[in-house]
Order: sequence, then structure tokens, then C-alpha cells
Amino acid sequence: MTYIENIFMCMVAPLIMAMLCLGKKQRRIFFFCIAGMGMCLLSAYINTFFAHLYVANSLNATTQIAPVVEEIMKLLPLLFYLVVFQPESKQFQIAAVVVGASFATFENVCYLTQNGAEEFLFLLIRGFGTGAMHVVCGAGYGYWIKYVWENRGLRGVCLFGLLCLVITYHAIYNLLVSMGGILQYIAYFIPIFTVICGWVGYLISQRRR
Amino acid sequence: MIELIDNFIQLVVTTTGCLLAGALFFKNHKQPFFLLACFYGVYTLGTLYWTLHLLLFNETPPVFYVSDLAWIASYIFLLALLYNMRVLEHDHKTPLCWLALIFCIPQFILYITHGEVFYNIAMCVPTMLIGWLGIEGLVFNLETPGEKDSVLFYISVLCFVALEYCLWTASCFWMGDTLINPYFWFDILLSVSMLSLLPGLKKAVTK
Repeated sequence: MTYIENIFMCMVAPLIMAMLCLGKKQRRIFFFCIAGMGMCLLSAYINTFFAHLYVANSLNATTQIAPVVEEIMKLLPLLFYLVVFQPESKQFQIAAVVVGASFATFENVCYLTQNGAEEFLFLLIRGFGTGAMHVVCGAGYGYWIKYVWENRGLRGVCLFGLLCLVITYHAIYNLLVSMGGILQYIAYFIPIFTVICGWVGYLISQRRR
Repeated sequence: MIELIDNFIQLVVTTTGCLLAGALFFKNHKQPFFLLACFYGVYTLGTLYWTLHLLLFNETPPVFYVSDLAWIASYIFLLALLYNMRVLEHDHKTPLCWLALIFCIPQFILYITHGEVFYNIAMCVPTMLIGWLGIEGLVFNLETPGEKDSVLFYISVLCFVALEYCLWTASCFWMGDTLINPYFWFDILLSVSMLSLLPGLKKAVTK
């Protein structure tokens, strides 16, 4: 049995200590780190609940239930931040990426605890693939929402639309990973390729300015 | 086999639309192109997930509505686009908008007798509103002299809505993966109507 609550406490404890030693501005980053890991922990319980509710096997749970649950859970701290603190677009972007990265980090640690850490090459690819996928999903909110940031109504509509977009992206990733073999490796490289394309696009737009 | 070919055609159309709309947005920085690119992009991902699941597992997703969420989001992006254009162009009201409800509601009642209520509400309400705003925009453009640039766009939008409903109604009565099934004719025509949205919007926005 994987004691994910114990893993969560071990990972979060140093972050809480660090938060106490830093100023207000820096504490925000650590808060979103803890929030991302907490959402990953809660997602595990909610995934199990819905898998039992729909009598889904592990394949259907991974490809259809998990993407929906995980992306909604990742959005919740961001929604709270948006509604209560009304941040700037840039601050929201940073928060979204940090939540995604910390979610992926916790997920990777739980994977290592369950499956061991012997296969270096596979874990290197999986680590970067899963990490990139969650960061892409988080960055998707932050990057695309800035184009409609000024209009609150449109911002709300686009946030829902972006949620559905990242859910589907995540579901396609899980679908290909669950197939195993060459498709699994293609799936791991898709988010890395997306990050590279995004980075190239950013550099081109910076040069144009 | 026919379903896979049909989905592949739709994927090519929506991916092309997304890339072109995205390129136009980065060139002109006009919000309607951003919303249209989001419409195409989310629709593409929904169709891609559906097609991949069908290809790899020989069945459509049995448990949860991943593709359907994407398609609902695409309708919401299209609705946001139409609302955005309404705010920019006109505040015109016409009783002809009720035609959208007359066309859609009886079919909506048919769908809830065949499927889930909440799911059909989520699919039909945005499309009814798209039809409503589409008729409003089309009537405004036809009645106002010198305002004909958006006509193609609104006609494409109304064709999209009409074909979606024809598609859903056909799926209630015909099954089978052959070309005799009218579902596939409507789906291919739907792809054509989606393709015509972009030149229509380009003409409307860059007037």
C-alpha cells in the first residue's frame, strides 16, 4: 500500500518551514506548491470514488475519469486565487505553472514509491513527459487567458473552455500512455514537443517586439 | 471504417482552421480570431480523443464524457464569439430569432426521450443560443445598407447549428457504419460549414 498521506507530509513539511522564514511575496509560490501537491492527494481519493461509482476498470478510470478529476482539482486553487485576490495576469500565470509542476512532482514521487526507481532511462522519459504534461496544462490557463484578461465575462467563459481543452489534452496523453509500447513513448514526447513549440513561439513573438 | 474517415476529414478541417485562425490572431491581434481559434482547437481535441479511442479500443468512450466536454466548450467559444460581435456591431432585436427555438426545441424533446436530460441540456442550450444570435446578426446585416460583410459568417454559423441538429436527429433513428446512414452525410457537410466560418469571419472583421 502506498501511504500517500505520509509522503505528502514529508514533502510539505520543509515547504511550510521555508514559508515561515520568507516574506509575503515569496510565500505565495510555496503556497501554490503545497496546493498543487494537496490537489494531487485529493485527486487520488476522488478518482477512486468515481471509479467505484461508474464501475470503471483501471483503463477506463485512467483514460476518462482521471483527466477530468485532476484538471478540475488543479483549477480549484487557481479559481480561489482569481476570485479572492484578483491577481494580475502575470501572477496568475506563475501560480498556474507552479500548481501544475508541484502536482506532477507529487505524482512522480508516488509513482516511484509504488513502482521502484531502478529503470533510469524509462523514469527520465516518464518524469519529463508527465512533468511537461502537467506544466503545459497549467501554463495553458495562464498563457491563453491573458488575451481575454480585461473582459471579466469573457475571462470566465474562456476559463471553462480552457479547462475542457486541458482535460481533453490530458485524456489523449493518458490514452496513448495506457496503450504501452511505442505509443506510450510517443505520448511522453508530446508534452515535451508542446513545451518546445511554446518556447519557440515565445521567442519569435519577443523578437517581433 | 466510414466513421474513421469522416472523423479524419473533420480533424483535418478543424486543425487547419485552428492554425489559420491562430495565425490571423497573431497577425491582427483581433479577439474574434482568438475565439474562433479556441473553437476550432477544442473541437479538434474532442474529435481526436474520440477517434483515437475508437481506433485503439474499437469502441467509443463508455464511461465519461471527455469528448463531449470538449465539444460543449467549443460551442461556448462560438457563442462568446457571436456575443462579442453583437456587442461590437449592433444591438438589434428581431422576432425571427424565435425560429431558432422553433427549430431546436422539438428536436431537444426528441433527444431527451432517447438519452440523458442533463447531457442534452448542456449540448442544446448553447447551440440554441448560437442559432438565436446567428439569426439576429444575419437579419441586422441584411436590413442595414452597407453592412453586408458579415452575412457569409452568420450563414455559416446557422448552417453549423442546423447540421449539428440534423446529425443528432439522424443518430436517433439510424445506426450502422455505412454510407447509407445519413449521419455521415450531415457530418461531412458539418465539416464544410466549419471550414467556411473562417473566411466569413475574416471578411466580417477585416472590413
